[in-house]
Amino acid sequence: MEDDYIIGAEKSLREVFENIDLMPLIKSAVSAGASYVMVEDSEGEILYRHGGPVEEGVFTVKQPMYLEGEIAGHIVITGDYKNKGRIRAIGELIFNAVKIILNNSFKTMLAVETHTTVVNRSYEELLETNRKLMLSEGRYRDLANTLEKEVHERTEELKQAHAKLLHQEKIASIGQLAAGIAHEINNPIGFISSNINTLKQYVSKFRDMLFFYHSAFEKEGLSNEDREASKQKWKNLKLDFILPDVEDLVRESLEGAERVKKIVSDLKGFSHIDEADKAYIEINSEIDRTLNVLTHEIPEDAEIVRDYQDIPAFSGNPAHICQAFFNIILNAVQARKEGLKLVIAVRCLSNLIRIDFSDNGPGIPENIRKRIFDPFFTTKEVGTGTGMGLNVTYEIISSYGGTVEVESEAGKGTTFSILLPLPQKGDDAGVR
Amino acid sequence: MIEYDEYENKMILKLVYYGPALSGKTTNLLRLHDILDKEGRGDLAVLDTKDDRTIFFDLLPFFLIAPSGLKIKLKVFTVPGQVKHDATRKAVLQRADGVAFIADSRLSEETNNFESFKNLEDNLTVVGLDIERIPLVIQFNKRDLKNIITEADINRTWEQTGIPVLMSSALMGWGVVETFGKLVELSYDHIDTRYELKEKHGLDKETFVRKLIRVCV
Repeated sequence: MEDDYIIGAEKSLREVFENIDLMPLIKSAVSAGASYVMVEDSEGEILYRHGGPVEEGVFTVKQPMYLEGEIAGHIVITGDYKNKGRIRAIGELIFNAVKIILNNSFKTMLAVETHTTVVNRSYEELLETNRKLMLSEGRYRDLANTLEKEVHERTEELKQAHAKLLHQEKIASIGQLAAGIAHEINNPIGFISSNINTLKQYVSKFRDMLFFYHSAFEKEGLSNEDREASKQKWKNLKLDFILPDVEDLVRESLEGAERVKKIVSDLKGFSHIDEADKAYIEINSEIDRTLNVLTHEIPEDAEIVRDYQDIPAFSGNPAHICQAFFNIILNAVQARKEGLKLVIAVRCLSNLIRIDFSDNGPGIPENIRKRIFDPFFTTKEVGTGTGMGLNVTYEIISSYGGTVEVESEAGKGTTFSILLPLPQKGDDAGVR
Repeated sequence: MIEYDEYENKMILKLVYYGPALSGKTTNLLRLHDILDKEGRGDLAVLDTKDDRTIFFDLLPFFLIAPSGLKIKLKVFTVPGQVKHDATRKAVLQRADGVAFIADSRLSEETNNFESFKNLEDNLTVVGLDIERIPLVIQFNKRDLKNIITEADINRTWEQTGIPVLMSSALMGWGVVETFGKLVELSYDHIDTRYELKEKHGLDKETFVRKLIRVCV
């Protein structure tokens, strides 16, 4: 800015006349009768001259020219003394004409220079503004171009993360199950192996006895002594006691094995490992199955009331539905250590299935009731709960177009209600 | 200062009449031109436009010669008051030695006065001048009109700033010379501290003011 034109800078006469041609005016003064006309600046430098040469003793008119109130130069007109009046008149005319030209030229110059300065600076400012706008526009354009892609990527990431969480939650509950099942299996397996051990000893005794008979009969039939010895042997081997016990042992062992079979079958049923993603589900059986795999979590004195109604088969993924029940039932059976009562009521309303799980636990405090379905919200100790259980239930039921409702009263208990819409006639809307 | 040429022994100063649109800046210069003697000043150059609004500036030159021979030229400019001509205002304000802010006394113009003063502060900063140090006077013009802000209110607002405030009616011709005189005085002090007008050039304040302000008899 410092090197730019400063408004108010001094102008010389030469500069102001730069684009003006005074020659025609001066020439016409000479042709009107002046012998010599000259325009000089304040330093005495001649800007215009015409006519001449100047002779001694001629009549001279010299008039100053003002620029911003200061003398900037002179106009000199000479002629014959005898034309004195005429020369003076020509001088007056030329002087006034030049004065007007000078003033107008000066003003034009100021206006032009100011205009140029202002326009140039405004242009520079505009260029700068434009440059900044281009930069920011570029950034926005890039953003707009990549936005869709990024949203897509993020959505995909979220989907994957969600699926992963669901899967992890399932793995976690299956792990929990496995631990409980191992415990459950231990009991039957314990007495089965103990019985079989006893049976082994018995069997060796049978063998002794049998070998004894065998050798005795192989000799020559039974003598009186032999009969005595045989009786003694029978007595010593306590066969009177053993023989009926064998039957019990085998029966018990078979029962134990049966129980193991059932537990394993329930586990398989619950995890629905072998089944397709979509099937027709008997809700009541699925609840039973879920209760069975939770046996180890249910306190011994608990009372489970199964208030089932016959309901139509529901089309869905059985593993998911079991998972949804599992999370609610697990919470309910953990709500109270002694005197637990859990009522599971299944009802078929006009166009939906309603399953109520009512416990007599401590209830859910009002202030956290709104957050229980939030992911990662848990009241259990760190490391115990994932905070995903009810969220998973909620997500599963939502995916079937259903809802999960909760009613709770402090000290009295909690009821979770699952509402599943039934597919309408000719509508395959059971699974989304 | 537009120019100080030690070799030519010449100093060219710039005073600027600033203020909102139609507050009477050009009228102030027209009146100074009428009231002050032809000697010591040039003609008023009005870069007029079709509708009588200033779009560039007006210029009234003054000159005097100090006892030392220093030629001092004082160019008084107006700026265009309309908001859209801000670039021109900045250009005119550049290197100013003093500013007279011409405010419109009408109550309806209070906001415009305030905005124009704020604009002056901003533009002084832009062109590298310090509002705290530059000679500045405020003139409340159009005192001849009705519905104007009272002098008491004006004083309450401006007293603590220490900026001299003058009342005028440029149209009626009063207060104009006083405003110019006050600005010239302040400008003398400002230039004297740096260029030693009195010590070096034998030019005291009284002579400076008297030579510039010669009222026609």
